[in-house]
Amino acid sequence: MTRRPALTTAAALLIGVFCVALLAAAPTLMPPFYVRVGQLMLYSAALGVAWGILGGFAGYPSFGHAAFIGVGAFAAGLTEARYPGLKLELRLVVGLAVGGGACAVLSAAIAYPILRLRGTFFAIAMLGVSHVCAELNNNVDALQGALGLTLANIAPEAWDPATVFYELYLAAGVIVLFIAWEIKRSKFGAGLLAIREDEDTARMLGVPTTRYKNAAFVISAVLTGMLGVIYAHSLGYITTDSVYRDDTNLNLVVFSLLGGIGTLAGPVIGAFLLVFITQVVLGNLLDFHLFATGLLLVVLVLAAPGGILGLLRTMRRRPTVVAAE
Amino acid sequence: MNDAPILRVEGLSKRFRGLVAIDGVSFTIQPGSITSIIGPNGAGKSTLFNLVTGYLSPTTGEVHFRNTQITGIATNRIAELGVARAFQIARPFRDLSVFDNVRIGALFGKRGVRDVGATTSRALDLAGIAHLSAAPANTLTVGQLRHLEVARAIATRADLLLADEPCAGLNPTETAAMIEVLRQIRASGVTVLLVEHDMPSVMEVSDRVLVLDAGRMIADGPPAEVAADARVIAAYLGTPDAADA
Repeated sequence: MTRRPALTTAAALLIGVFCVALLAAAPTLMPPFYVRVGQLMLYSAALGVAWGILGGFAGYPSFGHAAFIGVGAFAAGLTEARYPGLKLELRLVVGLAVGGGACAVLSAAIAYPILRLRGTFFAIAMLGVSHVCAELNNNVDALQGALGLTLANIAPEAWDPATVFYELYLAAGVIVLFIAWEIKRSKFGAGLLAIREDEDTARMLGVPTTRYKNAAFVISAVLTGMLGVIYAHSLGYITTDSVYRDDTNLNLVVFSLLGGIGTLAGPVIGAFLLVFITQVVLGNLLDFHLFATGLLLVVLVLAAPGGILGLLRTMRRRPTVVAAE
Repeated sequence: MNDAPILRVEGLSKRFRGLVAIDGVSFTIQPGSITSIIGPNGAGKSTLFNLVTGYLSPTTGEVHFRNTQITGIATNRIAELGVARAFQIARPFRDLSVFDNVRIGALFGKRGVRDVGATTSRALDLAGIAHLSAAPANTLTVGQLRHLEVARAIATRADLLLADEPCAGLNPTETAAMIEVLRQIRASGVTVLLVEHDMPSVMEVSDRVLVLDAGRMIADGPPAEVAADARVIAAYLGTPDAADA
């Protein structure tokens, strides 16, 4: 049964609040290198959760979510560049609204045709979308993808920019996680789960599958695009190559596979672990990252298709199954 | 039997390229009845179900549920009106518990207010699998899965249940249990349309039997009458003429 006792929900919430407080306080104690690693961890985790609303909850794994990072980043950057007089504290708000809006329009426009594809076909089609967006952004001069685009600083003068972005990613991550949690426990979430399990049966039971899939796609795209806007500001200068990244496309899939696909905590665990492994453990072997990620993916799919959470669950469940027989 | 029909099928045909799967079939179903559709393999029984539930669009003809034309509208919209289907090959949500499987039916299904928890429990009770509610669906036997399929369908609060061979592959004890469940469902006010191969079950449970052969309706009446019909016997066993030819 899914209904958890109120006590464990409260306990989980308490642990969550404690973790967030700990993470928020961490930059004051950490050396600058680790603040940057922490930034990447939080950014990746938030992206992973946003990806999971479509890829995990609805079972439509996208291999091209970098499209939304890029579209969000450039839409925000170009708009902000047009209004250089914009107040510091308004810049990010405008950027988020425009970037999110652009991704909403893009995802809503392609949702119907692309979500008729299932499984691998959908994943590959999304990779295509990502590449088409990147090419357009790179070759249409007005979009300045090849030339590059400078984004104005949004960190207040007195503050350390690295810490500001760290805290921004943390706040964004908490919001994305909260949205995902609300979706997961709603009727909408139950419908997405049914779609993931068996789309034809879901439709027969009255789940408005097309509408739900489209909604999950747009929500996931908008959140991803808004994270891309923050990312663009943290870079300060973006080109097509720095936001439409194929390693992002790959990593978003790996985060969920590593942590546990379809769960809330899975992408967070996966992102933290993968960023830690590639940035800290393999920090001196930069060329090795993509190879290591690829290798991990192969091992995961073969050995632990449910990810870390799936592995924990089967280990916990096994004794009761034996007892029942 | 003076009520308005719950389902009205008029001149329904479905062609797949050259093959005529359903050929001008018309019938009405009265509320509160159990009606069986029988016929040899390939007669078009499953196609007929697919047409009624919106998985396929007919080439010609119309399907009316109550006073609504449901020909060609989306499957989920038909479910919202109150038509549910139990698949021939059980298709549970394998990663979910039995309770959660049925709960999805209760959450969605027919439009209107409901108590999801109570609806789920009632459906589990009616299908006789309340004791399995905590079990993961992928641990169930074939017979239990059939009951789950039925429970999930009636949890949608449907007024019309289309059950596609609910007894196929079940042993006599399980078949008897399933027949009892169908009776209980009818008693709860749900109209049942059944496709079934198991003749003793059909004869026992049905108020009325429709016989399809090669896409055409060749007989319609009470079970005993249909069983004695020369055309029905010919459809199942062949005619002496056909054997000679």
